[in-house]
Amino acid sequence: MHKIIHYVKDLLVFRPCDTFSYSGKARDRRLRIRLILMIAPLSLFPLFIVITVSYFWLQNILKEDFQNQLRWDLENTKNSIEFFVDVKLSALRFLASGHRYEQLSNQKTLVNVFTAFKQEFGQVVDLGLIDAEGIQQSYAGPYNLKGRDYSSQEWFHKAVARGVYVSDVFMGYRKVPHFAIAVKKEVPEEGNFWIIRATINMEALNSFVSSINLNKDDDAFIINESGVLQTPSRFYGHVLEKYLLQNTLNQRGVSVLNTKQANGKPAMFGYAYIKDSPWILCAIIKSRPDTKIARLFQGEFFAILMGSLLFVILVAMRMAQVMVNWIKDCDQKREAALSEAEHTSKLASVGRLAAGVAHEINNPLAIINENAGLMKDLLAVSGDMPNKEKFLTSINGILESIRRSRTITHRLLGFARRMDASPELLNVNEVVKEVLGFLDKEVAFRDIRLTQNLREDLPKIKSNQGRLQQVFLNIINNAIDAVESGGVIEISTGVKDENTVRVIISDNGPGISKGILKHIFEPFFTTKEKEKGTGLGLFISYGIIKQLGGNILVESEVNKGTVFTIELPLISDAG
Amino acid sequence: MPRTKVLLIDDEAEFAAALAERLQLRNYDATAVFCADDAFSAFLKNPPDVVLLDLKMPGMDGTEVLKTLKLYDPSVEVIILTGLGAEQSGNEGIKRGAFDYVVKPVDIDDLTVKIDQARKKKDKE
Repeated sequence: MHKIIHYVKDLLVFRPCDTFSYSGKARDRRLRIRLILMIAPLSLFPLFIVITVSYFWLQNILKEDFQNQLRWDLENTKNSIEFFVDVKLSALRFLASGHRYEQLSNQKTLVNVFTAFKQEFGQVVDLGLIDAEGIQQSYAGPYNLKGRDYSSQEWFHKAVARGVYVSDVFMGYRKVPHFAIAVKKEVPEEGNFWIIRATINMEALNSFVSSINLNKDDDAFIINESGVLQTPSRFYGHVLEKYLLQNTLNQRGVSVLNTKQANGKPAMFGYAYIKDSPWILCAIIKSRPDTKIARLFQGEFFAILMGSLLFVILVAMRMAQVMVNWIKDCDQKREAALSEAEHTSKLASVGRLAAGVAHEINNPLAIINENAGLMKDLLAVSGDMPNKEKFLTSINGILESIRRSRTITHRLLGFARRMDASPELLNVNEVVKEVLGFLDKEVAFRDIRLTQNLREDLPKIKSNQGRLQQVFLNIINNAIDAVESGGVIEISTGVKDENTVRVIISDNGPGISKGILKHIFEPFFTTKEKEKGTGLGLFISYGIIKQLGGNILVESEVNKGTVFTIELPLISDAG
Repeated sequence: MPRTKVLLIDDEAEFAAALAERLQLRNYDATAVFCADDAFSAFLKNPPDVVLLDLKMPGMDGTEVLKTLKLYDPSVEVIILTGLGAEQSGNEGIKRGAFDYVVKPVDIDDLTVKIDQARKKKDKE
């Protein structure tokens, strides 16, 4: 890990000595990695911020939504229970107001009423009529509870005091959890009252509680005001066991509180008091809403994140590649320019050397010329002498050699002088002929057929002769290298349009494949052996022709040959 | 017409001597001198019709010699002898009053034609 950090640090710090300590591929690779390391975080940083912010934002929304859902569930259930109880109480009230005490104290009548009541509402276990003394005067239900005395029981006193009473859940005689509702009927004319009481199975309540939407860690149940469970709970005990309330419930209506579980994890506690009853509806939610976020993030969100990450990295890599290529390109161009300068200066040196040699040779050549000429003159005026003809032949041989030497030195001087001449009016045909003069010997030696097809009325162009010669020499030299012994090279001149003359140099050599053809004007590209070619010839030629305002085109077909076309403007912009 | 008097001034003695002899063989009254000082005394002793002058000489330069000769006798015709690749200096010589120039190594027939033309010009003036 330490090594990796060190490596990354090392990559990110630019030092001037890098230029020298790394070069070529190693430098390109380091540069690429550096660029990626700089570009990628730049794009990834905002992405991570957006994702982090949206994570917390989503968490809040989900939590709030979850609380609201719970509040809504509790409210609904509370309303249902209240309604349920209300309906039963109303039925009892109706029953009490519709019957007289005497009617209901008749066991038979009560059983009829009970049957109708049960049919209507179900869940009702029994029905009883209790007189002011607390004695159950008649009873309809599965047990024999007639004559039972309730006067000492709390519920009886509460019912007498309040007129309407809903009890806690209790076991009663049957050992089945249930609760009782009672309605007091006043008989004012007699100064008396009676109570009609029904017991209902706890299951009726439980069915409302279990309608609350719960996860497996959650719990919902009803307790009474002293914390005794009225319905069974999943985690906090059975009916009538004590539930330890952690909060003091002092509110009416529906409340949702954030609390903590025993193990310290967050939980929600929601509760609602149920009107006209001793009950409190409770829900404890331990399932965490934010676990849903993880699922969300695992899904599409994660895919988007990964997609963006991949995209950013790809873009960074591509950008790095483009920049590295660009730098490479610049490097290569600079190197080529340096090489071209070197090449040009080399040519200039060769030119100066040639000029020096030509001058030095010229004087002795003049002396030889005059003396040989004198000898010839003297022989001409002298009479017959032995070997006169032989002397004459020898002298003519000397004079001919002098002429040849003179031509060579003349060419050398011309070449040297024209290297840095300014543009002049030229006949391209003459330029071509002069270049071919240099190559005569090699062409003859290699047994190459060199045909010239020079248009006679070629317009003169204003250009730089030395530079043009350099280009022609280069391309014709390449052609000579390309063709085999006995090959054909054709050089023709012509007019492309009224402003452009054209020189076409074609050979019947092996040709150039398409893959190589597109590189031939690039610097340092060569197919020749290392000692023979620098890979700069065509690059320099291309540069010169472009500088002279012209154009070089090349066409080639493998095994057929190659055609170079050089187009030159009548007046070039540059020297 | 008397023989044309030619004064040949060139520091390359072997070249000058041989050329002078060849001209003599072609019926010119040719004299060769090898430095500027000798040139002036020869010029004064026997004023030539045509001077053949090498521009590149040690000591007094050919251009100076040309200027001096032309000052002394504006009618004298001077043909410049230049080295190869020095045609420029030949042209400059013409600007300074020379009749023409020839390039070394010289073609003798070419040279004699030019000497005759120079002589004709001098005679006309």
